[in-house]
Amino acid sequence: MTGRLGRSGRWVFLVLLGLYFLVPQLAMARFAFQNVPVVLLGPDTFFSKWSFDALGQALAEPALWQATGVSAVLAVLTVALTLVLLVPPTIYVEVRAPRLRPWLSAATLVPWVIPPIALVVGVAATFRAVAPGFLASTASLVPFYAVWALPFTYRALDAGLRAINARTLVEAATSLGSSTAGAVVRVLLPNLTASLVAAGGLTTALVLGEFAFASLLLKQTLPTYLVDFQRSQARAGMALALAVMVLTALALAAVVRLLRRRGLGTTTLGL
Amino acid sequence: MTDLTTVTARRRTTAGGPPRVAQQRRGLPHLGAVAALTPFALFLAVFLLWPMAAVVWHAITPNGVLGTSGLVRAVSGPYRSAFVNSFVLSGASAVIGGVIGLVLALVVRDLRRPAWIAPATDAFSSVASQLGGVPLAFAFIATIGTQGLLTKALSAVGIDVRSVFSLSSLAGITLVYLYFQIPMMYLVVAPAVGGLRRSWREASELLGAGPVRYWLTIAGPILAPSVLGGMVLLFINAFSAYATAYVLSSSTSLVPLQIRFVLQGNVITGEQDLGYALVTWTVVLMGVGLVVMQLLQRRAARWTAA
Amino acid sequence: MSDLMTAPATTTAGVELIGVRKTFGSTVALEHLDLRIEPGELVCLLGPSGCGKTTALRLLAGFEQPDAGTITIGGKDITTVPPRRRGFGMVFQDYSLFPHLTARANIAYGLRVRRTDAATITRTVDELLEVTRLAEHADKFPHQLSGGQKQRVALARAIATRPGLLLLDEPLSALDAQVREHLRDEIRRIQRELGVTTVLVTHDQGEAMAIADRVAVMNTGRMEQIATPRELYRRPATAFVAGFVGTVNRVRARRGPDGSWWVLGVPVEVVGDLAATDAADDRLAVVRPEQVEVSPAPAGARVVALSFLGAVTRLTLDHPDEGPLLADVLSESSDALRVGEHVQVAVRPGAGAVVLA
Repeated sequence: MTGRLGRSGRWVFLVLLGLYFLVPQLAMARFAFQNVPVVLLGPDTFFSKWSFDALGQALAEPALWQATGVSAVLAVLTVALTLVLLVPPTIYVEVRAPRLRPWLSAATLVPWVIPPIALVVGVAATFRAVAPGFLASTASLVPFYAVWALPFTYRALDAGLRAINARTLVEAATSLGSSTAGAVVRVLLPNLTASLVAAGGLTTALVLGEFAFASLLLKQTLPTYLVDFQRSQARAGMALALAVMVLTALALAAVVRLLRRRGLGTTTLGL
Repeated sequence: MTDLTTVTARRRTTAGGPPRVAQQRRGLPHLGAVAALTPFALFLAVFLLWPMAAVVWHAITPNGVLGTSGLVRAVSGPYRSAFVNSFVLSGASAVIGGVIGLVLALVVRDLRRPAWIAPATDAFSSVASQLGGVPLAFAFIATIGTQGLLTKALSAVGIDVRSVFSLSSLAGITLVYLYFQIPMMYLVVAPAVGGLRRSWREASELLGAGPVRYWLTIAGPILAPSVLGGMVLLFINAFSAYATAYVLSSSTSLVPLQIRFVLQGNVITGEQDLGYALVTWTVVLMGVGLVVMQLLQRRAARWTAA
Repeated sequence: MSDLMTAPATTTAGVELIGVRKTFGSTVALEHLDLRIEPGELVCLLGPSGCGKTTALRLLAGFEQPDAGTITIGGKDITTVPPRRRGFGMVFQDYSLFPHLTARANIAYGLRVRRTDAATITRTVDELLEVTRLAEHADKFPHQLSGGQKQRVALARAIATRPGLLLLDEPLSALDAQVREHLRDEIRRIQRELGVTTVLVTHDQGEAMAIADRVAVMNTGRMEQIATPRELYRRPATAFVAGFVGTVNRVRARRGPDGSWWVLGVPVEVVGDLAATDAADDRLAVVRPEQVEVSPAPAGARVVALSFLGAVTRLTLDHPDEGPLLADVLSESSDALRVGEHVQVAVRPGAGAVVLA
């Protein structure tokens, strides 16, 4: 069963799968950094005209920095909002009312089944009539991005609280004379930094990649800018998309590393 | 706020203090709960429940009258094909991604050497399962689009990809979705695969079962809830994906793209209600999927704990 | 009741390991094991973790292949026979019940594999449920069963196919004390009724002594001694065996002018590793607490603590020459003793042999 054939078969499978994941990235890099149309590509032209011009060209666009700035501000606000909304109930439920945990867990899972495209229809049906000014502002995206960040943030916080045995910690601190609030601030929160940073990292990646909501509400964020820019400047757009993808991957890898180092049993799935 | 609850708890157990004070404090434990839970609940109500409830309400009251005509229309005619296409796309990418993700988990488990292979696959999957959207679509366009590198390479050896395959077809979108579906499936089933105990295999072996029988009667059924749950998850994931499909082919009839179409063409009266009905169907479908997935995962968790 | 339990116990075959050696990489798990198990016998492999007892069991099951040596059952060489053709039964430490099958289906698994007809399966399984007192839990899943119940299902599953050899890997270690004792007697009863040759691995000497026909004490990949529980306790072959199967004191032993050995001022009969003692006149001996006799005296060992254990009282003594000593004395004769008093200490006459280390 597990003879030499089985072992080499497994390696063939892994290599083929690895190629599937690697080749698109390489093709994207070639498209972006080699100024040779693919029809002219051949053995003689394969090493010519490689340069980072396209990326430079993309980075020179002021509109890019504007869109990036908008996305960055949205990310920061979204992270702040999710933490402010979720940290108190998560700690409260863990420390004081564990019987509510299934409910909180279920509530934070709901956004998983509401696609952005679905929510945007609902938002148009409600806010547009009641508060027309609200959707005009770019900041109106923040609460909706916070909705989609709930699953990740809750799971990261919950795993962090369980890993440090939050309930016992607070009981120990109060038995030593601390108030519960003091115990939360001085004992729990310092131990939760890894979870908070991981949740923030995931939320940032989510905000920087979200397209549907921004596009349908006609906001210029990084992903919507990417689509528009690529239409007008194919190569530079490709270079920019590659850069965004690589940076997102690095940020996610940092989050994964952080979670693993702290031994927190959560994935990036938000489940 | 929450520190008051401890005080109250202490009071109660010692039963000290004048009765009036005790009475006053007895009401307070709720304050901590209220302070912690209310903003969160209000937020969900305003930004999630209210919009979605409004959508469902509009969907079941087309033209202001309670009725099912909107819901029926959303799954007939041209919109039926959107649902069919979305089902085919989500189903195909869930089954193919599910099988490959499962095989990946089994292969990684069996290859104990080199030691880095399992943690590396874990980390890679965590990252790749979240890579979707616009850049991923661009990457595949550069690879196997009409001007793609692989398209060119294959035509050099006499295979004309363009005649048999297009990125804007369902098969093409499926190929792209697998990029995040396979890693996602791996993340879901790897714990279950790792939880297959060696002693289960040994017990069945000693009881006379060969490898085939072990897989059919022991490992297969034990993995089944995790595998099915994972596939349902992939289905939800693919069904609600928007950006990638939009970039690859904004004209293909898929449910999320149809919703956008209806939403943007909202000048025509009645089309609004159609959009609400499409969204209602989608959310109901996703909700059912989530419940099924949770039930399957609960069963899987119970088994691994036994 | 039918053929399974009511049929006269047809004793299964004997098992032999001859010169068996097993290494994992550079670690030697079993150095050289010769072990003969008589038909119908229950042998315990006893030792600390890492002594090779589990390796020996896994070699018997066929999950591992020995580097050298042969394993036979009923005189037939089975060294290279795969596990599924050995027809053995095994109870695993974690029970290893199939989580998606009911108790009944778990027990029936081996019979199904053998394509036994449905009527026989039903009859045999019902009977086993009866024997293991599981009838009311037959249709529960493993996660609905208690530890003791899971253990019974595992046992029933292992014996359902009438195995030629029953292997038990620390079957009781995950249970709490009361259930453990009860199940230990159950296992013994069922094993006797079936007459199945059985090997049980444990690190718990009390369990081994209570259940086994013979106990094989293992240490760092070698077997130190195999004997009946009584013999093991009374005439341990080595200090390790003596220390592992009971509580011991380590005291000095001196050779008298006539060549006899003296311990605690008394000449004693000695056993143990005598060959190595020929040269030395001054060695260590191990003496059990119940071999120590105390008598009131104005000086000598001081009583440090008394713990009442029922029929006997255990004294912790501070001996001027030997340091701390334990002595078990009949409770009625020690009632007058107080902490801080002094006693005279000796080896009780007729208390059996003393082991030289």
